[in-house]
Amino acid sequence: MLDVSQIAKTYPTPRGPLAILSGVSFNLRRGDAAAIMGPSGAGKSTLLYILGGLEQPTSGTISLDGRNPFALSDKDLAAFRNQSIGFIFQDHCLLPQCSVLENALVPTLVSNDNTGALDRARDLLAQVGLSDRLDHRPAELSGGEKQRVALARALINKPLLLLCDEPTGNLDQASADVVASLLLELHQRQETILIVVTHSAELAARFPLRYELRNANLHSAGA
Amino acid sequence: MRISTLLARNLAWYWRTNLAVLLGVATAAAVLGGALLVGDAVRASLRDLVLARLGNTDYVIARNGFFREDLAASFPSATPIVSIDGMVVHQTSGRRALSVQIYGVDPRFGPAPEGQQILLTAALAAELGAKPGDALLVRVEKPSAIPLESLHGRKEDVGKTIRLTLGTATPREFSLNPQQGDVRAAFVPLTLLEKQLGEIGKVNTILVAGGPLPDPRGAVTLEDLGIKIRTLPSSLSLETDSTLIPDALAERATVTANSLGLTTEPVLTYLANGIRANGREIPYSVVTALGTEDGITLNQWAAHDLNAKPGDTVTLDYYVWKSDGRLHTDSAQFPLARIVPTASDQTYAPEYPGISESNSLHDWDPPFPIDLHRVRPADEQYWKQYRTTPKAFIALARGQQLWGTRFGKLTSIRISPPLPSFAPALRAALDPAQMGLAVIPVKARSLAASQGATDFGEYFVYFSFFLMVSALLLTGLFFKLGIEQRMREIGVLRALGFSISKIRTVFLLEGAALSIAGAMLGLAGALAYGEVMVIGLRTWWIGAVGTRLISLHPSIASLATGALAGIATGLATIAWTLRKLEPVTPRGLLAGEQKRHSVKRPLLVGIVAALLAFILLGAALARVLDQAAAFFGAGTLLLIAALCLQSAALNRRSSAFIGGLISLALRNAAYRPGRSILCIAQIACATFLIVSVDAFRQTGDSAGTGGYRLMAESNLPLIHDPNSPAGRDALNIPPLEGVQFVPFRLRPGDDVSCLNLYQPRNPRILAPPAAFLNSAHFAFQDSVPHTANPWLSLDAPLPGGAVPAIADANSITYVLHLKLGEDFTLNQTRFRIVAALQDSLFQSELLISEKNFLRLFPDVEGYRFFLLDVPLQRTQQVTGTLEEALSDYGFDIQSTEARLAGFHKVENTYLSTFRSLGALGLVLGTVGLAAILLRNVLERRRELALLRAVGYRPSHLAAIVLAENMLLLLLGLATGTGCALLAIAPAVSSRGGQFPVASLSLLLAAVLATGIGASQAATRAALRSPLLAALRSE
Repeated sequence: MLDVSQIAKTYPTPRGPLAILSGVSFNLRRGDAAAIMGPSGAGKSTLLYILGGLEQPTSGTISLDGRNPFALSDKDLAAFRNQSIGFIFQDHCLLPQCSVLENALVPTLVSNDNTGALDRARDLLAQVGLSDRLDHRPAELSGGEKQRVALARALINKPLLLLCDEPTGNLDQASADVVASLLLELHQRQETILIVVTHSAELAARFPLRYELRNANLHSAGA
Repeated sequence: MRISTLLARNLAWYWRTNLAVLLGVATAAAVLGGALLVGDAVRASLRDLVLARLGNTDYVIARNGFFREDLAASFPSATPIVSIDGMVVHQTSGRRALSVQIYGVDPRFGPAPEGQQILLTAALAAELGAKPGDALLVRVEKPSAIPLESLHGRKEDVGKTIRLTLGTATPREFSLNPQQGDVRAAFVPLTLLEKQLGEIGKVNTILVAGGPLPDPRGAVTLEDLGIKIRTLPSSLSLETDSTLIPDALAERATVTANSLGLTTEPVLTYLANGIRANGREIPYSVVTALGTEDGITLNQWAAHDLNAKPGDTVTLDYYVWKSDGRLHTDSAQFPLARIVPTASDQTYAPEYPGISESNSLHDWDPPFPIDLHRVRPADEQYWKQYRTTPKAFIALARGQQLWGTRFGKLTSIRISPPLPSFAPALRAALDPAQMGLAVIPVKARSLAASQGATDFGEYFVYFSFFLMVSALLLTGLFFKLGIEQRMREIGVLRALGFSISKIRTVFLLEGAALSIAGAMLGLAGALAYGEVMVIGLRTWWIGAVGTRLISLHPSIASLATGALAGIATGLATIAWTLRKLEPVTPRGLLAGEQKRHSVKRPLLVGIVAALLAFILLGAALARVLDQAAAFFGAGTLLLIAALCLQSAALNRRSSAFIGGLISLALRNAAYRPGRSILCIAQIACATFLIVSVDAFRQTGDSAGTGGYRLMAESNLPLIHDPNSPAGRDALNIPPLEGVQFVPFRLRPGDDVSCLNLYQPRNPRILAPPAAFLNSAHFAFQDSVPHTANPWLSLDAPLPGGAVPAIADANSITYVLHLKLGEDFTLNQTRFRIVAALQDSLFQSELLISEKNFLRLFPDVEGYRFFLLDVPLQRTQQVTGTLEEALSDYGFDIQSTEARLAGFHKVENTYLSTFRSLGALGLVLGTVGLAAILLRNVLERRRELALLRAVGYRPSHLAAIVLAENMLLLLLGLATGTGCALLAIAPAVSSRGGQFPVASLSLLLAAVLATGIGASQAATRAALRSPLLAALRSE
């Protein structure tokens, strides 16, 4: 269960604090998939990074399976991100020096238990259709293929929460469709809580839960 | 997948940046290891020279006098030789070589000259321009058992000239004294030299090879020690070759005699010029002092001749040779106590060459003037009948008061009864060392000296310090660039659950791998750097070592130290760079955000560092702190302060309006403050070094000559006073108007200046005359206690009996490694440094008072060092006149400024080395600056492309980039120059405020030009790439 309660985020500026988020609250259960939409600069990515423990909110609380990541020490927070959260970025953020298989395995380097990691990586990469590209470097892949590697990487440790920041934003339509399908398929298989930030109405339409971030507040946009 | 796999991938992928980091560490390791290798090279080379030049000689048995050649047979593997200082003159060309070591050798030594041959070492032959068959004149001091500075010492013609022919063989380079310069030695046949010196069958040196320290006590005879025992009818008479019995021998003989139940009667016999009484006079009479009876006792003959009776006043006139180099005539009066029968007893008087063996007074050939017109037939009659039988007797104490010398106060000791066992008992009781026969472990001593007075390894570490700092700054710079390049990657890893400590570990492991690889590469670099430095010491910087015989002797220890230090410093630099990782959030890392650092911390650190620096400077100006420590400490703190304050200024969020291209450039420089500060630091460090080193350079305007234009040394001692008409007459010097000599006594020894690479074990000692101490010439750096005229401290007694000594401050600090007020021991005598001369011409020796000199070294006679007060316009003429007149003495004149220049040359060579290496550091700094400039421009290609798109011309872009680069360069120059000027202020002030403005300005202009060149190169490179294409790319 993901409980988000009254999350607010302000940034200090010379002209006074700038409120990006204000009183954002929602709950999601395992298996839920939500899309968050909004205009550019609305704070979608900020909300995502707060949910992923990458940024501290100004106020409010988050609880994922009863654990508040911001109450943890730095070391525990890192472990929390490693085990409980999977992240997919708009521009994949693959390590250019590592192969496809190695990129998928990067999160396991700091896991407490690596048992079966290699098999899981091969399996995930097979599920995303890259089993014949395991030794290739990111520079040898297309945009869509890179994003599929990022998807496998995000799921390698079987996270509870999968967060995606514009996962298809840099892709052409065909690749975007493939990635989106894979995303939802794998989410269903692993029963994660999936949250996707997107400005693509088409992508958002494929999600059962939709929210809109407007004027620093999160509004339901339908189910 | 393991962390090691990720590491390997990272190292390979970012190979360009990693290569730069690796090269930075390699440079630091190479420089440090190479510097240590230089120290090894110098030490090992000096050691090699010692071993090569001593051959298989381990010990030397030597005496200031001659002993039986056969004594050598008492020791295994012993070779007798004669070893003396002298000069060699090429008869045809007249070329002279002074201060040459002359060895009398035979085949026991090795290949030896024969007949009338002489062999020269290669360097000496080259100096004289001599070829085989050339005639050479060897001139040496004639050995004299009788002290020259006594009445009976022969003072004229103190040298002996031997004409020889140069042989074809080149003898081995043999030297008993450790020296880095060429060996200037001449080898003559032993028997020939013995004969020419009048010492047939005698030598003064025995070389012993191997084995334990030889003990001569069982083998040496009394004759070897210059002691004679004459058997008289009812006693023994103990005498010496010198005719005077040293106090130590007198004391030992008395104790020995008493231990055998014998009685002793000490005797002092002297020659009176005249005995006068009642208007009459007896010329040239022997007088003996013994016993305790007051007054004077005349023999019958004398009393009758003087018509004297008890109670009459009798006057003795006599010559005394005083330490001012003149013969004085003194008189003493006595009441006539008794008249004794004239009994013939010549045994009271020692054997006086030129007198004792003469058949008549008219045949006398004494070493002092006599007026033969005073000699009457009656005197000749007395001489015929009684020879040296004394005509008068006075009390011993009175005689010693009138005629006692530093060489001894007795001419004989009578021991009765004449027990045959006295001689062996005395021999057993005597310590040969106390009698001047020393056993010297010459090889061990020379090897110890080869450790060097100057640790070149340490010096080159100092010289190379900023080069290492530059290399490490570059290492940090490129590693930092690498991290900045991978900020997003770090953000991804944080997002994937890598903790900051884990990420730091990964980077540290990468850094460790690069440091280790760099250090390994640095090993090869160390050998190359060391070799280049050694070549430098043999060529451009030969002024620092004075020899070309230095070669690299790589040692594992130095290479390992360099490598380990390279790893440690490289890793430390990288770890320091990694501290900055944390403050940006993972989100910020992903967004490429740069954390704005606090302004307060660098500001605080800067202020504290500045305060500490000024405290150190104040302490140095107040002479509470050593100037070198103040320079390094304050200089480092000032640099830290300046850089911290600039860092604070750059970190401050500037909301200043961008009003033009220049202000835009300034804002750009402040955008990545860490990089900018590193650039400024590199330029500042190198500039600091170059400015401060140049300020210490000696310009030759020193007051270290004391106002004297000329100085001189002679191979043979001058006994007469060249300032007196009689002395000039005796020395055959023509009148020299306005020329004043200041004669110094000289005890030869090791040079204690920077010209000698070997550790001085037996320093050269000079003693100025008493009048010189009052004249207050020469500047002092300091004295203990502080006094207006530290020269007078030489005569002041010290508690504990230490002998006060003065030396030059440079010698004290850098060669002797002593402090003012510190004691040191030489030949069981404790000396104390009471004053330090400032940059004087006395850097090669210690100075003590003449009184202490004569007490400690009674056997060292005459004067061999001179300062000459000469009018400026006559220096050349006086030099030529004196060198010719005193050529038999090997008189060599040098200008005092040339002497000082010789010392300055060493110091300036060190500074040149320091500056050269600092310049290398500057080159590295410029490379770093150029790399940063290029990196900055490449990173901002899209930004610059945008400016072009909105109408900026290429010249506008060039101006922006140039302005940004110039800011860093000028800040670096200003920081380095300003900090250097402050740091050197105490040292410059104590040296008299000299500052070479012209050369410094030139230097800074060169640095500026180099920096501008680098900036322009970077700008051109950036503008050459298609900027507009950058707008289209991600």
